[in-house]
Amino acid sequence: MSEKRTVKRQGPTIDSIPLIYRHKIPISKTHKFWQGLAEGRIRATRCGTCGSIYFPPQDDCPKCMVSGLEWIDLPNRGTIETYTKVYAKPQGYEHFDPYIVAIANVGTARIIGWLLGVDDEKNVRVGMTVEVGVVEVEQGKLVPVFRPA
Amino acid sequence: MDRAETMRRVAVIGVGHSTFGVRGDVTLQELAWEAIAEALKDAGLTQRDVEVSVVGVVGTREYELMPAVPVNDYAGLTHVGPIRVEAACATGLAALTTAHNYVASGMADIALAVGVEKMTEVDTATSLAVGGRAGNYLWEFHFVGTTMPAQYALYASAHMARFGTTEEHMALVAVKNHRHAARNPKAHFQYEVTVEEVLGSRPVAWPIKLLDSSPISDGAAAAVLASEDAARKLGIDTPVWIGGIGYSSETPNMVRRPHYVGLEATVRAAAMAYKRAGISPTDVEVAEVHDAFTIAEIMAYEDLGFVEKGKGGKFVAEGQSDLGGKVSVNVSGGLKGKGHPLAATGLSMVYEIVKQLREERERGRQAPLKRYVGLAHNVAGIGHQAYVVVLRR
Repeated sequence: MSEKRTVKRQGPTIDSIPLIYRHKIPISKTHKFWQGLAEGRIRATRCGTCGSIYFPPQDDCPKCMVSGLEWIDLPNRGTIETYTKVYAKPQGYEHFDPYIVAIANVGTARIIGWLLGVDDEKNVRVGMTVEVGVVEVEQGKLVPVFRPA
Repeated sequence: MDRAETMRRVAVIGVGHSTFGVRGDVTLQELAWEAIAEALKDAGLTQRDVEVSVVGVVGTREYELMPAVPVNDYAGLTHVGPIRVEAACATGLAALTTAHNYVASGMADIALAVGVEKMTEVDTATSLAVGGRAGNYLWEFHFVGTTMPAQYALYASAHMARFGTTEEHMALVAVKNHRHAARNPKAHFQYEVTVEEVLGSRPVAWPIKLLDSSPISDGAAAAVLASEDAARKLGIDTPVWIGGIGYSSETPNMVRRPHYVGLEATVRAAAMAYKRAGISPTDVEVAEVHDAFTIAEIMAYEDLGFVEKGKGGKFVAEGQSDLGGKVSVNVSGGLKGKGHPLAATGLSMVYEIVKQLREERERGRQAPLKRYVGLAHNVAGIGHQAYVVVLRR
């Protein structure tokens, strides 16, 4: 193994004035999604004109130039299309144990969520059948989740 | 008449590159200056010759949030532009494209593009959180805490399941690129790694491990562009021509992607660049591709048409992407070994390809050339955007 030569040049620094962002995210046009989530349902929108299903949900269909789309509940069973387990956690997620993020195909749409009930990511299989639900993983934080069916 | 025929030919006549790495010794503008000064000297020009300056910077981790004017001013380009360009990790080639368009359209004869990023002024968790928010905060990061490596890992898992690509294949990309970085005095990591070291490194987002990942780096790179007339008047003896540029984008929602085994934005950008340059993928001899994670280089071989879809793992295992292979890929060390200071990366690729096409590289890193056709491939996010530039002598 060669010597690990890495460019790391340090010098004196001063601290900046900290900048803290906390955004107010408008949910008026997706209110039914957030309502559904609280009831354990995952909802998408459907354009009554062209039939397009939008997930993540949006109230405007850019294909038909119409707004006020209808709301539908997505199926609660699907198959895993792909997955990962996050070990290097970002700010805001440091206090969670490493978590498995998966994408499940429920037929009419795909959903991204946490896969629960599987300890070792090496036991996850692309194509495995899962049930879709919603779990409050901590006070006020609702996450779409999958469990092996 | 083809639209391309109405545009003027554009040459790269000067390139510059700072040392990449943790650059706690300099501010953003001081770092940009290192690349700008080298590019101007390489072209034999001064600031007075530059008619428009394009400053590429993502600027989400820096204390200076609107840094284009400070960067330009520090470099003595106070009244020249700047046009600020942002295209996440593809900012570098987006800046090159913008500068190219000024010259190609006749709005300027000489343009300068610089890409600069300082990523190490904040801690790693903050940097991961910023990256994870890229492209789509609300429907992914907000719910499930995806990071940039996690999003690429979703592609790696799918590619492994569909084509039998292995963690060893991915490790071979890291080994190759570190071998080149070890010979690049401007690279962040100037050392080699073994397959065993890569496989044994700690998991970041399974199946991506630490040594599958490009580092969080500071750096700058720049290019001076000139019209054909200006290049001739200046007596430039080794102009490198921009043969064709392609660009595309894809939905930022992972759940709306058609599949997870390749980047459709790259496929479309490459087709556009090849068409405009009048070449096919088999003409490319030396390429700098966007290996933010090792799986990204494997998918790039396929999406750029160097090998058919699904055979990228085999391509690296057979040494086809080694120096002197079918295509010499990432002979600079790539993002993996050289470092990935977001906005600098695309112009760093241009710097490397220009040096390669001029045959100015040191022994052990100069690609053998017959057709003198090179390519740079710069991706934003996980194929949120892609730029492909064909360069030739």
